[in-house]
Amino acid sequence: MSTLLVMKEQLQKLYAKYSFYILRVMQFALGVCVFGSINSNIGFIEAVSSKLCTVGFALVFAFLPLNSMVLAAAVLILAQLFTFSLPVGVISLAIFLVMYIFYIRFTPKKAWLIAVTVIGLTFKIPFVVPVAFGLLGTSSLMVPAILGTMVYYMLHSVKVSASALQSGGEQALMDGIMVFTKQVLVHKEMWMMAVIMAIVVLLVYGIRTRAINHAWKTATVVGVITAALLNIIGGIVLDISFPTGMIVVDVLVAVLTGLLLELFFFSVDYSRAENLQFEDDEYYYYVKAIPKVGVTVPNKQVKHITEPQEENQKETRFKMEELRKNPTTKADGYQQPRRNLEKPSIHETMAIHAEQITEENLEKSVNELLLTKSLNEELGLNQQVNNDGMGITRSLEEIWEKNIKSKS
Amino acid sequence: MLDKRKIRLMIKMSMYEKTEGREDFKISSYYKRDYVSMQRWLNVIWITIGYGILVLLFSICNLELLMKDLTISKLLILFAVAVIVYLILLIGYGGYASSFYKKKHTRAKQHMKKYYRDLSRLEKMDMKEKQ
Repeated sequence: MSTLLVMKEQLQKLYAKYSFYILRVMQFALGVCVFGSINSNIGFIEAVSSKLCTVGFALVFAFLPLNSMVLAAAVLILAQLFTFSLPVGVISLAIFLVMYIFYIRFTPKKAWLIAVTVIGLTFKIPFVVPVAFGLLGTSSLMVPAILGTMVYYMLHSVKVSASALQSGGEQALMDGIMVFTKQVLVHKEMWMMAVIMAIVVLLVYGIRTRAINHAWKTATVVGVITAALLNIIGGIVLDISFPTGMIVVDVLVAVLTGLLLELFFFSVDYSRAENLQFEDDEYYYYVKAIPKVGVTVPNKQVKHITEPQEENQKETRFKMEELRKNPTTKADGYQQPRRNLEKPSIHETMAIHAEQITEENLEKSVNELLLTKSLNEELGLNQQVNNDGMGITRSLEEIWEKNIKSKS
Repeated sequence: MLDKRKIRLMIKMSMYEKTEGREDFKISSYYKRDYVSMQRWLNVIWITIGYGILVLLFSICNLELLMKDLTISKLLILFAVAVIVYLILLIGYGGYASSFYKKKHTRAKQHMKKYYRDLSRLEKMDMKEKQ
């Protein structure tokens, strides 16, 4: 579990860092699914139904607002259907208009959820949709779930009975309108699925918002089981064939999705839940407080204890030249460390001129000195340093002591 | 020298201007009563169109059933039912739309108030900087 939480934290960090690219990629994937499902179901215009066009559309709309993708999808559906048959196109336009007037006009930002529902149904995992909507949204999301179901079955009807709907003369036009309207509006499977969607969204949302332990898990499991049972019972009562294998797969995917969503959006520790009771002048309060699970991602830091190779070499070369000029002492009297000139080490990196140390940076220098000491001890360089007689550490210690004495 | 507080404030304001701000500017240019009333009328028009389409679709769907034994009284009853459903829909949606647009206007006004407060803070920061 902790591994999963660490992974979640890492993913969140990754998202925060590359959110622009991740969103574009996700939008592209959604576009491929939406345009792909439209073109695979009702690809009547060959020019725009190719895979290249699907990818092209998805690529373009990955960089545009999400609502424009939904609008483009609706236009593409209508264009395909008008090309296929005029009555089918007219009825589809009427249905889309009704959807716009009664729902999308009020919440245009949620129109993409209709597309998500269509994708869920296309991939034969319809139970995932109401579970996700109920867990992450509100009860009002049952409306886009129902509308998405209607759109999917509308496209499905066209695909299934394409030859019967192809219009001919005037009489055929009227017949086409009647047949298609009946197919879309009196579709038993569609209404059954729409009712299942609505019930499951309400149920999942209702359980998820209760103050019970493991509310999300309970909501997911209850929602999925209800959906499966309703599907089976509805199938038997309405005489609709339902592939049992697909339902099992759908149930598993929906449960997995619910658990994943809980991990990402609601990770709490129920074992540390507390029930509080307090009051003010007007009310008694019964509060259930559940702590969030917080995991700190292990922060791996690589500490360079030597200077970069290039700089080291330059410095070494410079020091070698200096040493050649003045092999024992420098003009300021500072003893040049000999041993480490050829192979730069920690001691060189941290070497400080005693004269450069002022009162202001004395404390800082001492800290650095202590660090040097500890590193030297770790690497077993202490003995060598003493043998070399560098005396830097000693001189710093002396300065520090003098400074303390003078202050006292 | 860059002022982090000022930059943060400017980013926040710019984001608001580019997203919700556009609509909020439009909405808050009306009085609440005017805005809600205008939206209510627009809603009536849309509902009428939507309901017309629904009735048409329903009629096409059940054309055979409706045409069977059609009499004047049956036609009048159907018409009355359609009108009653229309009125119910209109009242229901009208009420919902009124509360929806009232909330929308209040929210837009609050956002605008916040935006103008940020704007005056920014102005004060500029003045301070110039001094």
